[in-house]
Amino acid sequence: MGTSVQVTPLCGVYNENPLSYLVSIDNFNFLVDCGWNDHFDPSLLEPLSRVASKIDAVLLSYPDTLHLGALPYAMNHLGLSAPIYSTEPVFRLGLLTMYDQYLSRKAVSDFDLFTLDDVDSAFLSITRLTYSQNHHLSGKGEGIVIAPHVAGHLLGGTVWKITKDGEDVIYAVDFNHRKERHLNGIVAESFVRPAVLITEAYNALSNQPPRQKRDREFLDGIVRTLEGGGNVLLPVDTAGRALELILILEEFWAQRNLGYDIFFLTYVASSTIDYVKSFLEWMGDSIAKSFETSRNNAFQLKRVKLLINKMDLDNAPIGPKVVLASMASLEAGFSHDIFVEWASDVRNLVLFTERGQFGTLARMLQADPPPKAVKVTMSKRVPLVGDELVAYEEEQKRLKKEEELKASLLKQEESRASHGPDNTNDPMVIDTTNSHAPPDVAGSRGGGYRDILIDGFVPPSTSVAPMFPFYENNTEWDDFGEVVNPDDYVIKEEDMNQTALHVGGDIDGKLDEAAASFILDTKPSKVVSNELTVQVKCSLIYMDFEGRSDGRSIKSIIARVAPLKLVLVHGSAEATEHLKQHCLNHVCAHVYAPQIEETVDVTSDLCAYKVQLSEQLMSNVLFKKLGEYEVAWIDAVAGKTENHDMLTLLPTVSKPPPPHKSVLVGDLKMADLKQFLASKGVQVEFAGGGALRCGEYVTLRKVGVASQKGGGSGIQQIVIEGPLCEDYYKIREYLYSQFYLL
Amino acid sequence: MASTAQPASSLKRRDAPVTREGDQLTIIPLGAGSEVGRSCCYMTFKGKTVLFDCGIHPAYSGMSALPYFDEIDPSTIDVLLITHFHLDHAASLPYFLEKTTFRGKVYMTHPTKAIYKLLLTDYVKVSKVSVEDMLFDEQDINNSMDRIEVIDYHQTKEVNGIKFWCYTAGHVLGAAMFMVDIAGVRVLYTGDYSREEDRHLQAAEMPEFSPDICIIESTYGVQLHQPRHVREKRFTDVIHTTVSQGGRVLIPAFALGRAQELLLILDEYWSTHKELQNIPIYYASPLARKCMSVYQTYILAMNERIRNQFAHSNPFQFKFIQNLNSIDDFTDNGPCVVMASPGGLQSGLSRQLFDMWCSDKKNSCVIPGYVVEGTLAKTIINEPKEVTLMNGLMAPLNMSVHYISFSAHADYAQTSAFLKELRPPNIVLVHGEANEMGRLKQKLITEFAADGNTKVLTPKNCQSVEMMFNSEKMAKTIGKLAEKTPEVGETVSGILVKKGFTYQIMAPEDLHVFSQLSTANIFQRITVPFNGAFGVIKHRLEQIYESVESGTDEESAVPTLLVHKLVTVKQDSEKHISMHWAADPVSDMVSDSVVALVLNISRELPKVVIESEASKTEEENEKRAEKVIYALLVSLFGDVKRDENGKLVISVDGNVAKLDKQSGDVESEHEGLKEKVRTAFRRIQTAVNPIPLPGS
Repeated sequence: MGTSVQVTPLCGVYNENPLSYLVSIDNFNFLVDCGWNDHFDPSLLEPLSRVASKIDAVLLSYPDTLHLGALPYAMNHLGLSAPIYSTEPVFRLGLLTMYDQYLSRKAVSDFDLFTLDDVDSAFLSITRLTYSQNHHLSGKGEGIVIAPHVAGHLLGGTVWKITKDGEDVIYAVDFNHRKERHLNGIVAESFVRPAVLITEAYNALSNQPPRQKRDREFLDGIVRTLEGGGNVLLPVDTAGRALELILILEEFWAQRNLGYDIFFLTYVASSTIDYVKSFLEWMGDSIAKSFETSRNNAFQLKRVKLLINKMDLDNAPIGPKVVLASMASLEAGFSHDIFVEWASDVRNLVLFTERGQFGTLARMLQADPPPKAVKVTMSKRVPLVGDELVAYEEEQKRLKKEEELKASLLKQEESRASHGPDNTNDPMVIDTTNSHAPPDVAGSRGGGYRDILIDGFVPPSTSVAPMFPFYENNTEWDDFGEVVNPDDYVIKEEDMNQTALHVGGDIDGKLDEAAASFILDTKPSKVVSNELTVQVKCSLIYMDFEGRSDGRSIKSIIARVAPLKLVLVHGSAEATEHLKQHCLNHVCAHVYAPQIEETVDVTSDLCAYKVQLSEQLMSNVLFKKLGEYEVAWIDAVAGKTENHDMLTLLPTVSKPPPPHKSVLVGDLKMADLKQFLASKGVQVEFAGGGALRCGEYVTLRKVGVASQKGGGSGIQQIVIEGPLCEDYYKIREYLYSQFYLL
Repeated sequence: MASTAQPASSLKRRDAPVTREGDQLTIIPLGAGSEVGRSCCYMTFKGKTVLFDCGIHPAYSGMSALPYFDEIDPSTIDVLLITHFHLDHAASLPYFLEKTTFRGKVYMTHPTKAIYKLLLTDYVKVSKVSVEDMLFDEQDINNSMDRIEVIDYHQTKEVNGIKFWCYTAGHVLGAAMFMVDIAGVRVLYTGDYSREEDRHLQAAEMPEFSPDICIIESTYGVQLHQPRHVREKRFTDVIHTTVSQGGRVLIPAFALGRAQELLLILDEYWSTHKELQNIPIYYASPLARKCMSVYQTYILAMNERIRNQFAHSNPFQFKFIQNLNSIDDFTDNGPCVVMASPGGLQSGLSRQLFDMWCSDKKNSCVIPGYVVEGTLAKTIINEPKEVTLMNGLMAPLNMSVHYISFSAHADYAQTSAFLKELRPPNIVLVHGEANEMGRLKQKLITEFAADGNTKVLTPKNCQSVEMMFNSEKMAKTIGKLAEKTPEVGETVSGILVKKGFTYQIMAPEDLHVFSQLSTANIFQRITVPFNGAFGVIKHRLEQIYESVESGTDEESAVPTLLVHKLVTVKQDSEKHISMHWAADPVSDMVSDSVVALVLNISRELPKVVIESEASKTEEENEKRAEKVIYALLVSLFGDVKRDENGKLVISVDGNVAKLDKQSGDVESEHEGLKEKVRTAFRRIQTAVNPIPLPGS
């Protein structure tokens, strides 16, 4: 039997919730994606919490909240502890996205689902792979190979290919087949005939206008607003689609030589761009080429200014400007504040480039017609003053004291423990059974001295009179003198990493200063919120810049990939049902769309076994070449290999091979055949019903056209008819020549 | 029984000529065979050909600097893999791409490609050869850029069934070691590599698979390097002492690769030594300045240390190093440090500065890398009393000269540790001066080849090395054919599909499921004019064919005949009959005979049929068959007699075989005769007896 494969969605089926799925391959549990939404709703993670401890590996596909947002929380609160795999950009940009999320939240609420340290520790355990790198798992996953492949959509975006015993399981969501300014599209040819394809129905019902038209409308809309004296707000994600928009604007501004300011405002904007500049290997061909030939880094931004706090924006020269600000959902972050400020001015424009997540402010505003006014909560973190500050300080003091108490207790215990074995070295302690062991002398010696000098000194209770501790330096001697420790004389290797460490080599070093000051800011503060109603007078536009394949292309890609079994996830119920029906009719007979926590078994009903091809057999096989394939008919006898552990195929010797029905191999295209016959001097024309009339009497027809490739009959049926004449045999000969007879 | 048969069969296999063309792997160094320079190594196996590196020899010019390309046919090469951007590894690529019949694909890493272009453009500009001697011009380089494809570390690519991927090599930015997999045989080509991590590069990785062949560089032979920190300390100490005594330091170095490492050392040293910060460091190479952006960009190809530093500021944005375009911009007024190319002090800026400074004993010259025989740099290492200046005058050499090697090639300790872990059964040494290589070979042989399982080879240029790989071919039987795993002795019949070097066996019906191939059925229908009675046809057919079934057509209710269970003959109208069948060699033959028969009937008048012939008894048939068998055996073996049990006794050259006609069993003392008789009888049987129907 084939490899057993089960798929259990944990989140994100029949709706647009974040993505998170459990894929078990021969009982090795992969968690593919670990997403959360912009509300950080813990109830979404319930299914995950039930299986988190059983997971053996995590695969991440995109650096946005919907695909990896729950990772820090799951690692710290749900018991997820598996190794994680992703590409370098997904790791890095994902980290920055999570920083941005945290900082945006923390600025307006007492966010406590995860901390920056949680984010760091979660991301530190990520193993980074490059595209098409075949990573062989070991241990429990022995025999499984995982490989990330280009997916488009976001920088570093991944289609995962999991292979075991030659059977592929492909996880492809949110992919884009189109080349964009900074990204390459998916290469569907690298995933031919997988055993299982897991894909999404998110865009199954949407159709996109041609890119050029869309780009023009986008830029026209912006320029019109600017010329009318208005500001443009683009709510964007932290480090994903924002990059593409930046490039579009950068290019257009350079082309037109426009003077309006463009700002990219997130808590991590400058480090995002710094990192993106070093990710050229991961981008599209045109970007790589421009760098290789002229060393022009496309992300060496000339027009777009990077900001990391709102003050800088407020200090910017007054006048029309474009601001790209996170978050895309308008639920938090700079975009929220800016929206509230700008919404009431009719000249302004808020341009959404992606569909807002369900239930967010952005989604509300994208409704048709848009609401006239929306209720928003403005929250601000303000420093504590007066009584509150006093109360806070007291509370802190109390906490500190408690901690100190705890620490000293701990120390005492430690000292007690450490006294046991090394009492011989410590002349101060004579009786180890003494329960009044001095609390300060033990532990590390240096610490002991300091405590004594600072806190006054506590006479050891065993001593007769107060005395300073005294340590005898007893040196060992042998025939050659004092015994030396060779380690003391080794010249210390000058550590080249010193400087690196000196400036702090930890992962969050690149945080922008404001952000850093925010973290380090231990000034007591609190969050004050007030609800207000904002009149939405500015214009609102939604344009699809999500960089996902549209419905039609998804269908054609699925048909081209032609999986043996198909699992559909993520997408509205309607879209999922639509795509399911389509695929059942046109792609394959096994299409599944499971509910949350419903396990579907997509184990292929394929039988397979391995055999060795013996040298004797192979020396008699004559291959016929057909494109990239070579085929031959073999008749062989099963035997055992010399060490008896494998089946081997040997040529049949004793009896003649039983006759077999001959097989015609080849793919006949009527149009090609027509050309071929014409080139041979046969008069050909298409008659009605797809029949090909050859010469005067003979007709060729293809019946039961194999449009349903994966389905039941992939065998072409061709009918040749005609009266007995020379032409008939000639044309038959030509027809045969299109095939290989086995 | 089985156990005794096994050795015999394996013995036989050894006797059989296994040296089939496809099993031989050939390696020919076209350059860098027992020399340093113009790396180029040709490898072919199973009709797939790979070329590693494509360099020039820096000591020669024009065509003579090229590897021996005329030894091979460039059009047969599938893939060309370039390990790094140094001239002796990449500089003949524009020539090879533009001036030969090579049509394959070229791969290199991203940083290599970016620097390759700058470096070669610079090379074309500065090389002072006549136009006729120019191997290529700038246009050729630009054209070549479009044909070069990029590969990232660990990324697996496949071209024509050749799989390959690369590992970090540690030598310079973007340097790679290539692992090539052809039909399961793996070859590792290290290029120039270093197993020691330095300030910006990772050490060469240890591949996770052991290769069958390792083609490895041997530049430093059996020499050992000083530890890195000792070298760095010497380097900074020399510079520190010189400048603090008011002297000038000249560091002649090749513009790219190791120079960046030295700059990192200097920049870091300066940043930790405040007292030095007013002393300028100059870096005099416009080319290297251009390449800085490449170094500032491909941070991911460097080590963890650089990546961590990058989190704070780009380490390649130096704080204490200034660029110097030419000597005219340089004001020589006090202590300074200048790094200038070329590394050999042959000419150019480094030589100009050397001439200015060599007679002052306060000054120092630090030679930081491998120096080529015959250059001034090599001469001054031996500290002669006098040197010849560029203007021909002699000058005393008073400046102190230090040779501190930072060139990132593996030394013996690294090479032997690397090979010890890899354990390749075949080691091919390239890229090393003949004597060094010889010593390394001896040492490797004593270390590895004692067990006799490891071969160490040192081919010279154009000398081919052949190795046999009798790779086992494994096939996967899938689909309907695999529903039951066969027992020993059962037959397996199906379509063997080969793609690349993987084999699959499947039933014809499954072909379209597991491959992109499809099968077809062709139905043929032919109408033949016939105006006789349908019964006549039936009658005639019965005389020829064993099986003729009558029936009626379901749709038109006309009588039909199914001949040989393959071809259906149908009476369409008074004047025509039609025949239809599924195309197949046997069916086609049957149909042809039916057509011939029908035409014959129409031509001749119906004959009186001889009844007896049709009802010939089985017995007579058998008798006749027996006769034929006997006659054929006689014609084959000569002496054939019939014994009392009805067996045939065949005697050839005194050997006797008895053949049972019914079962086909042969008894004989002589194996050869027995086999021959059995085969002959089998063939005769198939000839004499009717063709069995398919499926029956």
